[in-house]
Amino acid sequence: MHDNVVDRCKDITILEVLDRVLNKGVILTGDIVISVADVDLVYLGVKLMLSSVETMEQLKSGKSIAGK
Amino acid sequence: MENELIYVYCISDSPLGIARNVKSKDLKSLKFDDFYVMVKYVSENEFSENNFKRNLSDIQWVETNAREHISVIGMIMEYTTVIPFKFGTIFNTKAGLQKFITDYSVSLTENFHHIRGKEEWAVKVYCDRKALCDQIDKLSEKAADLEKQIMESSPGKAFLLGRKKIDLIDNEMDRICKDFGQKYFDEFKSLSESTSLNNLFPKEYTGREDIMILNATFLVSKDKVPDFKWTFDSLRKKDENSGFIIEATGPWPPFSFISIKEKPDAR
Repeated sequence: MHDNVVDRCKDITILEVLDRVLNKGVILTGDIVISVADVDLVYLGVKLMLSSVETMEQLKSGKSIAGK
Repeated sequence: MENELIYVYCISDSPLGIARNVKSKDLKSLKFDDFYVMVKYVSENEFSENNFKRNLSDIQWVETNAREHISVIGMIMEYTTVIPFKFGTIFNTKAGLQKFITDYSVSLTENFHHIRGKEEWAVKVYCDRKALCDQIDKLSEKAADLEKQIMESSPGKAFLLGRKKIDLIDNEMDRICKDFGQKYFDEFKSLSESTSLNNLFPKEYTGREDIMILNATFLVSKDKVPDFKWTFDSLRKKDENSGFIIEATGPWPPFSFISIKEKPDAR
């Protein structure tokens, strides 16, 4: 566990960061704010990012994607 | 285009200084009534409703900006109590922000009272089902009994009991995960002022092989934080060989423990 929030943030996964800053408990106001549908879109981005990393790793290790 | 939209990070009830190392982020502290709001003026090119929503589909853009959002609030949180805003909260005008502060001032004050002197800590627990399965006979009396029967049975009966055990193990692992999740939650809850349960993320989102079984957030008094950390360390060490992996992060801005209520005659 780190003591400094800035250092800590560098090591924290994007999922953890989003879990905090898009949390249902925080203030929902403003003229523009991320809605529930937008949150789903953001998490879809996380999923796609992870699956593309996985695909890259499979390509690097010589496994075929079709054989997944 | 001139930066004219107001991106809001957080509110404090005491003056906000801006640390030297974050000045380049164009931060500005605005005072409304008794509150100080940390903002940044942003461009419509990036943050108008349409452009902003388009940018949300770019995970790299989201990551950079979400990390910046939490870093700025985190730095301010190191010297004062803050109410954090959700990532991407934007006001078109200063008057709109002023109206929000006025309308919600009573609730803001109540929230400051609730979170002052406390920290938000997040705990995520994962289960490595393979590791758990390897020691199911130690953790489940039912599985151990069935294993004993298998050992004492004829080959034919042992085969049938073996198939029965496969189903039993699955059910028992679910039960053990539930029991351990509850145990961790109760342990941390006993050291906290408030708790909040967040969504469990499937593997496709965590990118991990193990399964998330608990995603909880705790509001902990600063004087209880050493006990909270000690409990985390001891549970982590105690259960690391049972297939349960506990991760704790914090202190975070109190995102999970803010509840803003509008005054009845507002808007």
